[in-house]
Amino acid sequence: MEGVGSREIPFGAATAMKHLLSNNYLSLLTRLFLGTLFVISSIDKVADPGAFADSINNYKLFPPILTTSLATVLGWLELLCGVSLLFGILSRGSSFLVSLMLAVFTLAVFSALVRGLDISCGCFTQDPAADKIGWTKIVQNLSLLGLGLFLFFSDTNKFTVEAYFRNKQLDDVR
Amino acid sequence: MRFQQALREAFWLGIAAVFLGFVYTASTEKGVFSRSFTERKNDAPGTVSSPAMVSLDQAKTLFDGGDALFIDARHEFDYKLGHIRSAINIPLNSLDTRQDVLSTISKERLIIVYCDGAECNSSIELSAKLSAFGFSNVKIFFGGWREWEAAKFPLERQPQ
Repeated sequence: MEGVGSREIPFGAATAMKHLLSNNYLSLLTRLFLGTLFVISSIDKVADPGAFADSINNYKLFPPILTTSLATVLGWLELLCGVSLLFGILSRGSSFLVSLMLAVFTLAVFSALVRGLDISCGCFTQDPAADKIGWTKIVQNLSLLGLGLFLFFSDTNKFTVEAYFRNKQLDDVR
Repeated sequence: MRFQQALREAFWLGIAAVFLGFVYTASTEKGVFSRSFTERKNDAPGTVSSPAMVSLDQAKTLFDGGDALFIDARHEFDYKLGHIRSAINIPLNSLDTRQDVLSTISKERLIIVYCDGAECNSSIELSAKLSAFGFSNVKIFFGGWREWEAAKFPLERQPQ
């Protein structure tokens, strides 16, 4: 009996998940939310890569030469992914990258907390006194990671620029 | 299919980010291309003026000599859990608030700075700052607390 019950629950959950993943509006809302968040978080990093490099250095994970290169690129990657999500261009790739970045950020914050580092996150602002890391940051990041993965596995691409051009192409062929 | 498409798109986004990042930073002379970064690189540890490193054995010999002052650069919490016997605690981020302690130390005194071990750079950063403050005889025990504790050398723990 136990076996039958345990098979039914994942089936129900899977169906519900399938419905969620094919919901156009939910996907649009998540895209706009994550896109806006990544664009906002990228502004300070793009504007001041030096301060961002200092923020990454505080985590003491990489040698300085790597952190400055990372700081040069990461802000722009966040900006591009944010814009891609907002407009729905290369959305599969950007949702993949957003999830990957969030997973890496979460691991970095976790490792810093475990090592007892009392540092600022460097997530949204590069002000060294603001936005200290803590366990709430981990929960916050994991929730965002959930949204990123939801977008990655989402089956719908309605309301995206990609879909608009694809439909237009199909209309032209007809 | 989904992963292939994602990887292909992610690749192009990555290339675009690298290109835009380096072009923008170079054209605005920010970050890695800024003048302050080049100057900072010259001050980085490893240059002639940077403090010397001492090994575990050398640190123990200096400890036995009794003249050296050991400074623990770790967080206060870690210091209280255990530190090299008679070491004082000056966490890197509270250096400014410990000026009173620093003012009692002779500038010529032999100072050995240490932190957790190979995974932390606080000892290097703190020793560089101490040198900048005018302390002329600063050395780094890079093996730090981990090596010292593992070797079962004299230590102190503060009751919580």
